[in-house]
Amino acid sequence: MSANNLFLKSAFVRAPLKNGVGRYVCQLQRIVFKFCKSNGASRGMRDFIEQDLVDFSKDNPGVVVYLKPRRHRGPVIVGEYLNGDRLWMSVHNKTHEEIVKWVELFRTQQGNNWNSRLRKYQYTNHPSVQGPWTPFTFKDPELNTAELPDVRFGSNNRLPATATEQLRLMFEKQKLDELKTAE
Amino acid sequence: MALMRRCAPLFARCIKIPPMTLQSQKIHRWVAPTLVELKRREKKLGGKKTNPRNTFLEWNLEAELYAFGKRLNEEFDSDLLLQAFTDRTYIIKEEMKQKEMGVDIPMKDNMELIAEGEKFINEYVQLYLETVLPKFPLEGVNEVRNYLTNEDRLAKISLSLGTKDIILAAEYPVDNYILANTFKAIVAALLESTSEERAAHFVRDFVITQLQGKDVNEYWNIEDPWTMLTGILEKDGSKVEPRLIGEVGKNTLLACYRIGLYVNKKMISEGFGEKIEIAKEMAAREALKRIFGTEDHMKPINFKISGIPKGSSQERYQIASN
Repeated sequence: MSANNLFLKSAFVRAPLKNGVGRYVCQLQRIVFKFCKSNGASRGMRDFIEQDLVDFSKDNPGVVVYLKPRRHRGPVIVGEYLNGDRLWMSVHNKTHEEIVKWVELFRTQQGNNWNSRLRKYQYTNHPSVQGPWTPFTFKDPELNTAELPDVRFGSNNRLPATATEQLRLMFEKQKLDELKTAE
Repeated sequence: MALMRRCAPLFARCIKIPPMTLQSQKIHRWVAPTLVELKRREKKLGGKKTNPRNTFLEWNLEAELYAFGKRLNEEFDSDLLLQAFTDRTYIIKEEMKQKEMGVDIPMKDNMELIAEGEKFINEYVQLYLETVLPKFPLEGVNEVRNYLTNEDRLAKISLSLGTKDIILAAEYPVDNYILANTFKAIVAALLESTSEERAAHFVRDFVITQLQGKDVNEYWNIEDPWTMLTGILEKDGSKVEPRLIGEVGKNTLLACYRIGLYVNKKMISEGFGEKIEIAKEMAAREALKRIFGTEDHMKPINFKISGIPKGSSQERYQIASN
């Protein structure tokens, strides 16, 4: 499966409003718990509301919590984020512990990033610190004082070594080895 | 023969024709037509409707205002904060409604707070920039300040702080003008409900930090860098000398010249370009950046200065007077 088969928008890692450079702002602005007071599918949600909700809102005074009891409807969590995203999730038959974990995820996310695919796990505005390349960027400093034209700078140094040259090098190496063994 | 001829297409249909390409590309040909149809139906019903968030059943303005302050770690006076969120258009609309019903409840709009907040933001941003960019000329500082405090920028900040749903205005969604004004009013409300220092830190953390990762030279367009550079160096009594220190591909499309600027036989900067004039201009820009202390490798701007810094507008290069 390739990226073409996915209906996911691609995105880069970003912090909204340079969050954390100045001060940290929790990006979840409000959370709505919708549940039924009698239906069994909302059991976990009701347990969560009875045991953890007060502590949750005490710990996160910046998140507005709404409870919406609805007769004979499934339990749902809706999170709204500062960037305008709305995240809807059904928690049908989810247990108390599972809901605690999902709410924690809602709280720590920066938006609805379930509908986007990250291209990379890092991002930079400045991919190069050297500036644009010019023909002078990696120039040999020796050229500054050289008298041109010079055979040394004019020669083609990109060709591979010829067979003759390779043989000569092998021969010289052999001679050196012989000298070493003689010693 | 005639029978055979009549049966031929039937016969041919019976033989299963193998596909020409074994692996076909999976193109979702239903997506565009479906979206077009959905759009058409939406248009038929009278366009897309966005319901204001504050008309929902799950909405409590008091809780929203409380959470707004807590989220930003600030202690707002609740009446002042509500006033900061009340736009003039809302007041007019409400007065009309009240007249019809025959009641009169006095309400305050945020006009005064906007003026106060705007003044405070401009002054503080100016002083802050003068402190963190000590060698940058006043003209440049003003341009950077204009960038930071223009309507679009403030509207974006305001939107990211979650004011969009809380603002009391006649229209929804609110436009940039009202968003920016609300941000100014919030700063003024903070200034009145706490101290000047808290408000300054609020502006620092949300407005000044927008400069993070940005090049301050981009906001100030220098028309003629060469004249400016020679003017500045003449004041110090030194003369600048441009020298051609490299040329490649002369008389071709990919020509590249490199110019170094020298003062007292010491190189101060270099620049390159496809023409000698451009290379000289680029070198002059580099030299100016060096003089103004805003090189590409400058230290990152300090976003942690506490209190209200003292500016230094007197000891600066006065470019305009040249």
